[in-house]
Amino acid sequence: MNPLDALWTIAWKDLRMFFRDRTALLLGFALPIALCAVFGFVTRFFFASESGLSKTTLWVADLDGSEKSRDFVAALRKAGTIRLRPGLEDEAESADDLREKVEDGEAHHALVVEKGFGEDLAAGRLPKLRMFRDPDRSMEAQMVSVGLLEAFFETAGREHAPLMTARAMELIGLPPEWRDRVLAITRTFSFGIEAIFEEAEGEGILGEDGADGAGGPDFSSVMTDLIPLERVDIKPPARPKQLTYMLSHTVSGIGVMMLMFGLVACGSLLIQERERKTLDRIRMSPAPAIALLGGKYLFAAICGALQIVLLFAFGAFVFHIDVLADPVTLLVVILATLLAVSSFGILVAAWAKTIKQAEGVSTLVILVMSALGGAWFPIQIVDLPLPAKIVSRSTLTHWAVSAFQGHFWHGKSWTDPTMLTSIGVLLGFAIVAGALAWALYRRRYLRA
Amino acid sequence: MGTPDLLEVRDLAFAYGDREAVRGISFSIRRGEIFGFLGPNGAGKTTTISCIAGLRRAARGTLHFEGKPFEPALRHADRARLGLVPQEVAVYEELTGRENLEFFGRLAGLRGGDLAGAVSEALELAGLAPRASDRVSSYSGGMKRRLNFAAGDLHQPGLLMLDEPTVGVDPQSRSHLFEALRGLATRGRTLLYTTHYMEEAQRLCDRVAILDQGRILGVGTPAELAEGAGISGADLEKVFLHMTGRRLRDE
Repeated sequence: MNPLDALWTIAWKDLRMFFRDRTALLLGFALPIALCAVFGFVTRFFFASESGLSKTTLWVADLDGSEKSRDFVAALRKAGTIRLRPGLEDEAESADDLREKVEDGEAHHALVVEKGFGEDLAAGRLPKLRMFRDPDRSMEAQMVSVGLLEAFFETAGREHAPLMTARAMELIGLPPEWRDRVLAITRTFSFGIEAIFEEAEGEGILGEDGADGAGGPDFSSVMTDLIPLERVDIKPPARPKQLTYMLSHTVSGIGVMMLMFGLVACGSLLIQERERKTLDRIRMSPAPAIALLGGKYLFAAICGALQIVLLFAFGAFVFHIDVLADPVTLLVVILATLLAVSSFGILVAAWAKTIKQAEGVSTLVILVMSALGGAWFPIQIVDLPLPAKIVSRSTLTHWAVSAFQGHFWHGKSWTDPTMLTSIGVLLGFAIVAGALAWALYRRRYLRA
Repeated sequence: MGTPDLLEVRDLAFAYGDREAVRGISFSIRRGEIFGFLGPNGAGKTTTISCIAGLRRAARGTLHFEGKPFEPALRHADRARLGLVPQEVAVYEELTGRENLEFFGRLAGLRGGDLAGAVSEALELAGLAPRASDRVSSYSGGMKRRLNFAAGDLHQPGLLMLDEPTVGVDPQSRSHLFEALRGLATRGRTLLYTTHYMEEAQRLCDRVAILDQGRILGVGTPAELAEGAGISGADLEKVFLHMTGRRLRDE
């Protein structure tokens, strides 16, 4: 009997049974799409603001209530890195309320604009501000600082620059008694600069107000451009504007992880054949011994291909991933991944003695591989210590996610050396796992 | 020199670890007969069938089919000459009766018109034609057993082995199965039938081998066995108890 014919007969039978099993269909196709949608939208929310950074929440209580303090709060509300609470329509909070929020973990940063804020500014003094904060939220602390500076400069105006310069000198280590000398120098300097600005404004030769032209300088741009840095943007021409790195990674990572779950579930069919005694019938047929294992392999690969095509179609439609920018590369990467993951699924199936054993061990291995290999978080962009790097690179998820990211994000062709490395390693996984699966299958299923 | 037996088994032995399940048994099955394997639970009937089918590798012994060495574990062509109706219902509940038969028929190498003809014939034989398009999960226990039988005989093998096919079957399905088996026998087909029901062996089988604890205690027609046991005219149950004793068996 033609081995390919027998192999297809078995795969077709399994496909028929699979498509009649609503639970299997739900887990195989709907769940990956649902997970991708959830992770994708969460990712878009956290990592896709116009500034390239997400906004962090800052709570505020204005105890002063002066015109200046209200201006300051309004400036905070406009700051690029801050999402201010309470909202405009919400009830104002007291300082005690804010403290309680931080204590309860409901807020990580809460700013109290103390009484006298407006008076201090009017008198040329730096006003008092108080921040309740969770000291371990360092990433958010930096975003809050950037937003605070931006809002303060906008509210206080250029006339407070000498005060801030003097304070900076103090913070650097200059003795407080030298403060007046610093102030005198910077005020003189500041008046000179102020005069230049007024003249430029009068002649209408000052540049646009900020990046958005909505008034006031774009503080974060000014700060980052203080260093004479020439930025050269390099990105593949095909990368859609709406696509972010994290979004692209989400589709790649979730795709690979769900592919593994799906295919390992397929692998348990080999054990089911044994448990329902149909295995003996198949073994007694004139079909060659490899037909059963090959049939399961083919079935797993077809299911995986359908799953990944559906997932990427969803990614293209909802998240604007240009999956067809280079169809040949996509096909090569999908094939290499399918071969590797299907071999892994068949290896688990040949090794396990019961369905529970197969499900338990494979779930553990897949979760560990997904975490270490970067399916959940882009571990590829983190500079890991050498042992962790070795562990990560020993997982097939690492190479599969790298290959998909190489294609979707970096726009690399399959002939690119880094892509060839990923594809080669995946094929290596497929060969080793496939050979082990065949050896185990022969021992467990053919030499009874 | 006469026609060789269809299957000749010589000194067949098999052990599960230290426990010998089949202890060097020899017997032959003639062409066109229903050969019964009668024995209590754990006698070694299923293990013997598995060794003949090539599903288990015998520790020793030889098989000859129509006088030629027979190695179904190694040769596809040898496997094609055998059919097995296992003790358990070994079909796919998610598929229809017809789809099950088509699947096993394809694996047996049937294609096109041959496959369609064989499937229709098997469905008729099993009395399942009216429910052929229903999923097996909706079948009764007796219908599943009949489908199990039909799947084993689909490719009309040289030797059809039935391993206790009537366990848990209702009287109607059992009667239908017996009629089908007799019909096969009258068409010259050869059957190996294992059971521990005496009346089944008495009604169906031309010759019977009584097997106990991995050994064959006697082979012959029921009358020959009774005579050999010194209780001429006795029914098979008396002969069986006489040969195997009344001690309870642990499976």
